[in-house]
Amino acid sequence: MRGKATIHKMNAEITASGRLFIHQHAAHCESGVTSALFRDQGVEVSEAMVFGIGSGIFFGHFPFIKWVGMPITTFRSRPRTLFPKVAKRLGGEFFTKEYRNTQKGMAALRKALSDDHIVGLTTNIYWLSYFPNRFRFQFNGHNIIVLREIENGFRISDPILDHPVDCSTEDLERARFARGPLEPKGFMYWAETVVENPDFRRACLEGIKESCYMMLRVPFPFVGIKGMRYLAKNIIKSPDKLGFPEACRRLANVVRMQEEVGTGGAGFRFMYAAFLQEAAELFGSDELAELSREMTAIGDIWREFAVVSARIVKQRGQSEETFAKAGGLMLTCAGREGQFFKELHNVARKLEA
Amino acid sequence: MKVKEVPQDDITFYEGEKRACYALNDEGKYVIVPSTGWEYEAVVNGLAVDELAAHLEKTRKEVLAGIRSPLYYHMESRQMNPQILAKTSGISVFRVKRHFRPGIFARLKPSLLASYAKALALSVEELKTVPDKSAGKGNDT
Repeated sequence: MRGKATIHKMNAEITASGRLFIHQHAAHCESGVTSALFRDQGVEVSEAMVFGIGSGIFFGHFPFIKWVGMPITTFRSRPRTLFPKVAKRLGGEFFTKEYRNTQKGMAALRKALSDDHIVGLTTNIYWLSYFPNRFRFQFNGHNIIVLREIENGFRISDPILDHPVDCSTEDLERARFARGPLEPKGFMYWAETVVENPDFRRACLEGIKESCYMMLRVPFPFVGIKGMRYLAKNIIKSPDKLGFPEACRRLANVVRMQEEVGTGGAGFRFMYAAFLQEAAELFGSDELAELSREMTAIGDIWREFAVVSARIVKQRGQSEETFAKAGGLMLTCAGREGQFFKELHNVARKLEA
Repeated sequence: MKVKEVPQDDITFYEGEKRACYALNDEGKYVIVPSTGWEYEAVVNGLAVDELAAHLEKTRKEVLAGIRSPLYYHMESRQMNPQILAKTSGISVFRVKRHFRPGIFARLKPSLLASYAKALALSVEELKTVPDKSAGKGNDT
């Protein structure tokens, strides 16, 4: 049953040593890559499942960390934390290494490919020119899988795209060794061996409990539900405080983070609902199924927030929609997610017993 | 979101690519549905892109007017800031910022120019000039 949700589009590829690799379209790069690495080792696990086990869901708004001049808003956990968590919770031996030297890093990649591994890489998305121009920006946390070397480049399975692509050696070198915030430093990883029948139940519960902690209990005002409330109130006040154009920029940025950067819709909320649906089947739990439906409903409100915000931005004040309405929708989300994670925590504790 | 609600608005900047969306099928099961884009997403993306393009055009005119060096233009067109450019080229931030002044940039040693050209994935010739037309290199994401 597991993994059924992700098998929508299949793309058969051959790895360096002639093994079959099925490329699957995913919403998010890190969970997509992790799930593909596990599948290659014979453990069927869907992207949504990986996302839940690795505690991918999150919310954070950091007004004091600026990125292209705007505060960072995030709907997911920090890049490069998902894979280690999933690896730990499902078990197995994993190769992970960073490289300082470009030549050594590329040589190690070629060696790994010739040793019959498919290799996960962390890259800078700006330098991957196979993406449409507008998908490209200076972000150092994009994950891809290298399948084999081809003439003047590499065959890549990028989970964000629905088909495998070719990438030139030059592009890949630049992308792997890009500098700046969160440098990838040529980070390379793959699964050496995995536990054959991992304890999915325990892994799910560990993932759920950590997510509940991050959303509800972190004693820091900008993360989790508190962060959502903080941002919502900020949005309501923003046109008076910052002026209309700047308020629009900020609001548009939040919506971009929610919808544009490979979230599977509604800032990963739908993907998390998909995870809960699978978990509900795994445990035979009606409560989890109910929570999955609740998360879907919350996701729909996030989508509404995006629609309202986009209208404000588009019509430049001529619209019926107001910042108060957009912020209000986010407050609704915060309230319902607060309740949601409390219930999820209770259900997880009950299932654990 | 239901499968039939997944936006299929054929957004041009997707260039034929599709993004994966999670949606519920008729049996209430989550499936991945490829989407050709959402009009509301295009609105917020458009705002950011227009702003970057306008900024880049302003910089281009400043370079032509002799206020900034072409290096500044190329840094912006690669969506970098002085910190990223400094680390990529291996030249200190202080010096990078100094090289934004046209007079100083014009006297740079070939070795420094080569470092910048490599960091920005340009030829030295391209680095020394800015494009005539505002269209730039098309990398104005």
